[in-house]
Amino acid sequence: VKEQSLQAAQGDQEQFSGNLANSSHELRNALACIFQFGNILVDGLAGELAPQQREYVAIILENAGIIRRVLDGVHDKHSGPPAKSSDRLDPNAAVEG
Amino acid sequence: MSNARLLVVEDNAALRKGLSIRLRANGYEVLVAADAISATAAITLEMPDLVILDLGLPSGNGFDVMARLQRSDPLANLPVIVLTGRDPAGNRSRALCAGAAAFFQKPMDDGALLATIHLALKVSRRKSHLEDSSLC
Repeated sequence: VKEQSLQAAQGDQEQFSGNLANSSHELRNALACIFQFGNILVDGLAGELAPQQREYVAIILENAGIIRRVLDGVHDKHSGPPAKSSDRLDPNAAVEG
Repeated sequence: MSNARLLVVEDNAALRKGLSIRLRANGYEVLVAADAISATAAITLEMPDLVILDLGLPSGNGFDVMARLQRSDPLANLPVIVLTGRDPAGNRSRALCAGAAAFFQKPMDDGALLATIHLALKVSRRKSHLEDSSLC
């Protein structure tokens, strides 16, 4: 019974990852918007931010980065190495092109 | 390389706006299109210096736009940077073979995108300069 439960859980996990891989295009568009406008705020293109506002935007960007890494991991598992796209939080990331 | 005219072809309105803000802040003049047909019309009418092109578009796709550019003699050398949420496996090499100067998967690094735009414009202007010189 335990073995069956483990197999079922593994199947669910793989199905979830597969669904995520299939919908990653939409997720990547949404993430690109979050990074784009987050960085616009951080760079002061919409006016200077107060220190607390800057801190909160940094938290948003940091967590968006976590989602992106999860997506890249799913991509890695389902269709080979991920693209080297990167946000401001990872200055050592390779440049695309 | 400011004052260059860039065409952003992106069907996601928020991303189109965000990219426009970023590019204008870096001194570029920005034109926008939200689908493949408008993109082709804007390229023909406005003659931008560079195109940032999404692949998944209404009324066609980015590959259709690049194929039309390649068929047109004056536009075949127009630098195109592909910016897509699609899987790079297959799409990256297909885009580069179709004439793209670079391929970025979303979410992209703004700094890397801006550096690539700068470089692509520089190469394009050098190429035009050389072609003009060879005519003399």
